[in-house]
Formats: sequence, structure tokens, C-alpha cells
Amino acid sequence: MTLIYQGITLIVVLLIGWHILRERRLTDQMEAALVLLPLILRLLMIK
Amino acid sequence: MSEYLPELWPLLAMVGAFVIGTFALKLPVSISLVIASVVGAAVGGHGFPLRHLVEGTFGYLDTLLIIATAMVFMRMIQASGLLDTVAHGMTARFHHRPATLLVLMMLFAMSAGMITGSSTAAVLTTGAIVAPVFMALGISRNKTGAIIAMAGILGMIAPPVNIPVMIIGGGVDMPYIGFTLPLLVLTVPMAIVIVLFLGLRSARAANIEPDMLPKSYHDQYGLKLYLPLILLVVLIVGEQALPRIVPALGMPFIFTICAAVTPFTGRRFQPLVASREAMGAALPVMGILAGVGMFLQIMALTGGRGFMVSMLVGLPLALLYLSIGVSMPLFGAVSAYGSASILGVPFVLALLGSNEILVASALSLIAAMGDLMPPTALAGLFAAKVVEQPNYIKVLKHCLAPAGLTIVASLGFIATAGFWDRFLFWDNRLGVYGILAGAVILMAGLVLLLDRTGSRHKPAEVK
Amino acid sequence: MSSDRTNEKTRSYGNRWTALGLFGAVAVTVFLVALDFRAMWLDPPIYPGPGVTGQARLSDYFSGIDGTAADTDVYFLEGEEAGGTALVLGGTHPNEPASSLSAITLIESAVVARGRLIVIPRAVHSGFTATDPQEGYPQVYHIETPTGVREFRYGGRGTNPIHQWPDPVIYVNGSGQQLAGPEVRNLNRSYPGDPNGYLTERLAFAIVEMIRQEGIDLSIDLHEASPEYPVINAMVAHENAVDLAVEAALLLELEGIQIGVEPSPANLRGLSHREWGDATGTKAILIESANPAQGRLRGPTTEALIVEGVDRYYIRAAELGLLYVPFGKEGSPLDERVGRHLQTVSMLLEVFSSADPDRTIAVEHLPTLGEIRQNGLGAFLAPPEK
Repeated sequence: MTLIYQGITLIVVLLIGWHILRERRLTDQMEAALVLLPLILRLLMIK
Repeated sequence: MSEYLPELWPLLAMVGAFVIGTFALKLPVSISLVIASVVGAAVGGHGFPLRHLVEGTFGYLDTLLIIATAMVFMRMIQASGLLDTVAHGMTARFHHRPATLLVLMMLFAMSAGMITGSSTAAVLTTGAIVAPVFMALGISRNKTGAIIAMAGILGMIAPPVNIPVMIIGGGVDMPYIGFTLPLLVLTVPMAIVIVLFLGLRSARAANIEPDMLPKSYHDQYGLKLYLPLILLVVLIVGEQALPRIVPALGMPFIFTICAAVTPFTGRRFQPLVASREAMGAALPVMGILAGVGMFLQIMALTGGRGFMVSMLVGLPLALLYLSIGVSMPLFGAVSAYGSASILGVPFVLALLGSNEILVASALSLIAAMGDLMPPTALAGLFAAKVVEQPNYIKVLKHCLAPAGLTIVASLGFIATAGFWDRFLFWDNRLGVYGILAGAVILMAGLVLLLDRTGSRHKPAEVK
Repeated sequence: MSSDRTNEKTRSYGNRWTALGLFGAVAVTVFLVALDFRAMWLDPPIYPGPGVTGQARLSDYFSGIDGTAADTDVYFLEGEEAGGTALVLGGTHPNEPASSLSAITLIESAVVARGRLIVIPRAVHSGFTATDPQEGYPQVYHIETPTGVREFRYGGRGTNPIHQWPDPVIYVNGSGQQLAGPEVRNLNRSYPGDPNGYLTERLAFAIVEMIRQEGIDLSIDLHEASPEYPVINAMVAHENAVDLAVEAALLLELEGIQIGVEPSPANLRGLSHREWGDATGTKAILIESANPAQGRLRGPTTEALIVEGVDRYYIRAAELGLLYVPFGKEGSPLDERVGRHLQTVSMLLEVFSSADPDRTIAVEHLPTLGEIRQNGLGAFLAPPEK
């Protein structure tokens, strides 16, 4: 189950990354980057 | 008061920075929360505690995943035509009995919250399904948003799954036993009153034209179209009803499975683009949650949280009720779960002596109103997304009266806990269930009566 | 949904380069905090004292936790003469420092003359590798010893989520009790455990297996609670150990230590004081002391609060009658809490031995509360490695 959840987290991280690349408002890009922090740390199983 | 200044300063700095960021600089709420957290930590003498700032966001990690996946799922069933089809079917069948329809729709909208314990999940699933029905009945966009927001919240509190109560119970070592009746008594009558209050007048006045209804794709795709929804129900109910037999998949995985099936069940659309759009819609909320997490961590670190909780809990009994009614929903601005944990637990301890089950039930309902409190206002925010109202404050305005009523009723429930204790925990179970069954029949009769009398005034005829 | 906000004041400074810049910033932040988080994965050393006669791993009793973060060290202190066996479990909740620290003090200073003492200082080993979010806890605290400063970990309440993820929505424990999802990582809700269950349930199973396989007569689970919590400075005893606890409490009172006794509630399942006794017949007792650092009324969350236990808000709450323990300006220092725990353990062993002399467990060099008050806890801990 942990692997599945890592997979779901990976998908969400990729979608957010894609969104950041297409977004044209800096503040919205920053907001998305903020959300990436916990997701990436959990994806890597660091925290 | 001066001895509390070391904790008061960081707290004031945080609130000040947040207000300036949001209102003066017009920054997104999430970014303002980050700035407020950084400022608060610095004022509190902790420098730039990167570890604390990032650690705070982890409090909502699972919620972030639920929101992201639920949003993708909702966008997909919208694109596949499922939402429109269900709305069409319901309205065409029941529109001549508005009161009955409203009550049934309300209970249906609550159902996802009852099972998942999450107002967000409820608003984005069953809420999204009934919203077009309400709008087709002539209820305004904003009132519809308010109804599904309230449905999500009441559903979250209604049994069988009430996570705020479990959080409070976890803090005082109270097992999750015996909550079903008190929670039903608190939520169901309230739900009926609220939906009729917000919707009945418009629904009666409505003159429904068949071509105004959302389009139905039922004939085109048949039963296949409903597959994602059926799958969702089976997986959620299975997990809750047969734990230890059906594996615990968790909401994010369930939403992912159902979303993955959806592109093959109805209208054609591009799933990847729909997913990215869904993420774009979910990100402001996810950002706020991450920011709130930071904010809470810095409040705990600097002592601002303790200052608040101490001042509130230390009030004399009369003021304690006022403080519960005001502070719990306010604190819910950072999430209803947070309010249940940080304030719910000390309030239960402060009210020891009354039946703890009843007190915790009512407190959970009051805490849940926090899901309407900006800036997070999870229920209001997602309800606004569902009804496509960009300014969620307009939706929240219509929630004000129902929320106020709910809080007053819950406080009344705590104040009369002695009576409810004798009634709901009466040894004569047959008597309890008899009286409750009578109440249900009475309510159903009243609703039907409303439709009778209503139609005499205004026979809304649709062919 | 970018079209949503065209009516807002647009700030379109963003482009692909700012996006790449933000990716860089995220990467740097992740790297920096990863250093902090990963620093907690190392166990601070424990130095077995003269009384330690053997050491094992908990997985020796149940291989289902072998190689996982749940596996943990078990210390044996065996006397020359045969007698009974007692277990002292510390660190069930790594955010309750007196629990683990009392067990470590036992390992580093106590000597057993008769019978056997089995000590686990970090019951939820995984929990010591992360702090709970939104609590603002420091990752370490320090205790001064005569020859230097020792470092200990302050952990989270349950198993680290990176070792057991995700939580279910509702946790239905082995006894069918429904709990909020995160409780699935709480060892003291998972007893008697499940050999095929979640990691925490397997850990619980391993501990129960150990109690069974070692034939442990008396099992003591050390805890702390916030000062506003009703069951505090108290022992919670399984019905098979209530007499023992009551007698110990009376004798402790003669020595100036106030401690209450609560019978283990029959309907609160999954806890050590209920399930250990039910599952194995061991005499099961849980002990609580007052830790202001885990309370909701606390002011700034600092290392000083953990170690010195002084907090203005708790003093005020005590004046308002909101607490279940006395709380004055001397606070509730960690030294004092460890002293209470150790003297309670010592008294329980004495009362148990006098009731069943064949199963005597006689422990020496166990510091009393008075000795710790006089010399500081550091005097009874091993010196740090240079």
C-alpha cells in the first residue's frame, strides 16, 4: 500500500510541476511550489 | 497581562503580517500564511527555522492527497457527463414535490460525508451531484453552494464516521462508542431545517422547462456511465462496513481508481488535461492548508497557541459557552480537525461532569462550522468551485444564518446535556427507539404536508 | 483553472524561467530540511551499566519485525539468585521523555541482586526518528552529567509515518474498537497486536510474545500525560494488579510521593494495562507523570520546557483549578518525573516480592526521588563518550 501511495504522490507531484510550468502568475507558481515541499519529502520517504 | 507579552508579540506579528499580506499586498492566502509564519518565528526569537516551517505542512499531507485526487475525480465525472445525467434524472422525476426532493437531496449530499468523515470529500462528490439539481430547481448558484457546504459539514459530523469526535475522544481516552444517536439527533433535524430554509421558497416558485435541465447522456451510454459512482460507493462502503475484510484503501487511492475508470465510461475528453485543470483548481486550497500547517507549527513553537487556549479555557462557565461558540468555529479557520484537537479536548476537560459523549458530539458539530471560516473555509471554498462561483464569500454569506443556528442549537444541547443523557441513554431502549421513530414519522409527515400545501398555492406544472 | 481569476489583479511576472527557479528553490529546501530530518534517524547511544547481563533484539521473539524500524533493543539485568521477572517498558510514546529516560537510567545504573529485570528503553523505536508536525518540538534535549552533556531524542507520539503509511480513515483495532486513523500508529492502542497487521500491530504482538516467552510476572509501562489530563501522577492497573498498585501507592505516600490508582477500564481496549494482563496473565500496570511539554496549554515549546518543566500558563491553570496535579513555579522538571517513575517501579517490585517471596526481584542502586533531587539525574547516567 505504501508503494501505491508513493505512486499517487508522484502523479500529484508531476501534475503540480506541469501546472507550475504553464502558470503565468508568479504568486500562483510559488503557492504550487509550497505544496510540492511536503509531497516531495514524503515521496522520497524522508519525512 | 504584561507577563504574557513574550507570547503575545509573535502572535500579533503573525496576525498582522497575514492581514497585510492578504489585504494590502493582495497576495494569495497561502503565501501570506508563509510570510506570517516566518515573521512570527523571527519575532519569537527563533530566527528562520526552516525545519519547523516545512514540518508544519506535514500535518495536512494526507488531506492534500485527498483534495488532489477528489478534485481530479470530480472534474472527470463532470467531463464524462455523469453529473449532468444524474441531475437531469432526479429533477425530471421529483420536481413537483420540492420539499421532499430537497430533503432527500440533502440527505444524499450528506451521505458521502457520513461515510468518509470529510466535508471536502462530501462536497466534491455527492455535493457535486446534487448541485445541478438544486440549480435546475431554480435555487440560486450561491444558495446552492451554501446548501451543499452545509450538507458536507453536517455529513462529516453525522454517524457512522465522525473524525472530530474521534480526535477529541483520542485526547481524553474516550472510545468511539455510543455516539450514533446523539450525532443523529444533532445533525438530521438541523439538515432538514437548513435545506428547507435555504431552498424551499425558490424551489416552489420555479417554473422548470425541460430544456433548462442539464443534458442527460443516459440513453447514449447507458449504465456504463454510472460505473465510477457505483465503484466509489462500493469501495467506500466496503472499506467502512467490512474492515479487516475489504482492505483499507484510503480515500486518495479510492478516488484515483474511480478517476482512472471514468474516461472509458461516457463522453470523450482528455484525461491528462482534465487532471491538470483539476490540480489548478485544487492548488489554492492545498496551498492554504500547507500555509496553515506552517502557521500552526510556529504558533505552537512561540507559545501563541498556548496563550490562546489558556485564555479561552480559563473563562468562567457562562463565558465558557460563549467562548466555545465563538472560538471553535474561528479556530476552524485552520481546519475543523485542528479545532477539535486543540480546543475540543481542553473544552471537554473543562466541562467534565456532563456526559462526555454528548458534550464531545456537540463540540464536534461546533468545530465543524470552522469549515466555513475564511481563509480556509474548506467546505465553502469547494462548494463555490462546484457551483462555479469564483468568489466563495458570496456562498459563505448564505451559510451565516444556518451556521449560527447550528452553533446555538449545539450549545443548547450541551446546556441540556442532563436531559439528553437521561433520554438517549435511557435503559428502556425500546422506549428510546419508539420515541425516535415517532419523531422521524412526524418529520416525514411535515415534509409531505409542506408539498401538499405548497402545490395548492403554486401548481408548477411541467410536462 | 487559470480562467477563474482573470478578474483579480493580475501579476503575470511568472514564466518558464521563474518556474525553473522555483524548482531549484524547492530542491534546495528539500535538501536542507532532509539533513535535519535524517539526523533523527541515528539513535543516541545508551551505555549498558554494571547490572546489564545480556542484550537481545525484540525481533528475537517475533521475526515479523526483523529488519524494520520497529525492531528495538532489549536489555537484561539478571541477579545471581533465581527469582521472578519484571518488565519495564519505556518509550511507548517518544514525546513522553520521562518514560524512555527512566528506562535508560535503569539500564545504566541499576544492579539486580535477585530475579530478573527486562528493560526496553525505546519501545516505539520508529517514533524516536521524527517529531509530530504542528507541535513545534525540538528534536533533542540535553541532560548534564558530572563529566559532560548527554543528548537524548524527543520523538513523536507514534510510529514515524515513513515507516507505516498511509493511515486508514478509521482504525479498527484487534478488539474491534474504532479509533481515529492516526491511532493506527499508536502502540498503546494496538495491543495485543496482530502478527499479520500493520507494523505497529506487529510490534505490539512482539512485545506480548516477549512477555509470554519470558514468563514475565510483572509488567510496567511508563508514560506521561499533560497536566490537564485527569489520569495523572497515577498508576492504571489491570484487575490482577490493583491490590499490588494500591499497596505500593500507600507506601509511596508514606515516602512523600502522591500517586493515585485507577483500575483499567474494561471497555477501553488495545492498551497495555488491559491487553497485557488479558493476553498473558502478567500483572500489568501503567504509570503516568505530568509532562507540561505535551499539554495544549503550554507556552513556548522549548528544550527548557522539556527539561525544566516550568510554564507560566500551567501555573495559571493550576491557580484556576483546571489541573489534576499541583503545578507551582518549580514546575514539573524531568529529573523529578524520572525520580517518581523510578521510585514507583522500585516500590512495585518490593511489594510484589514481599507478596510472593519465591518470585522476588531485588534491585539495587536504583536512585530514589530524593537522591535525584539532591544530585541531579545526570549523576546516575553514564558519562558521554568523548
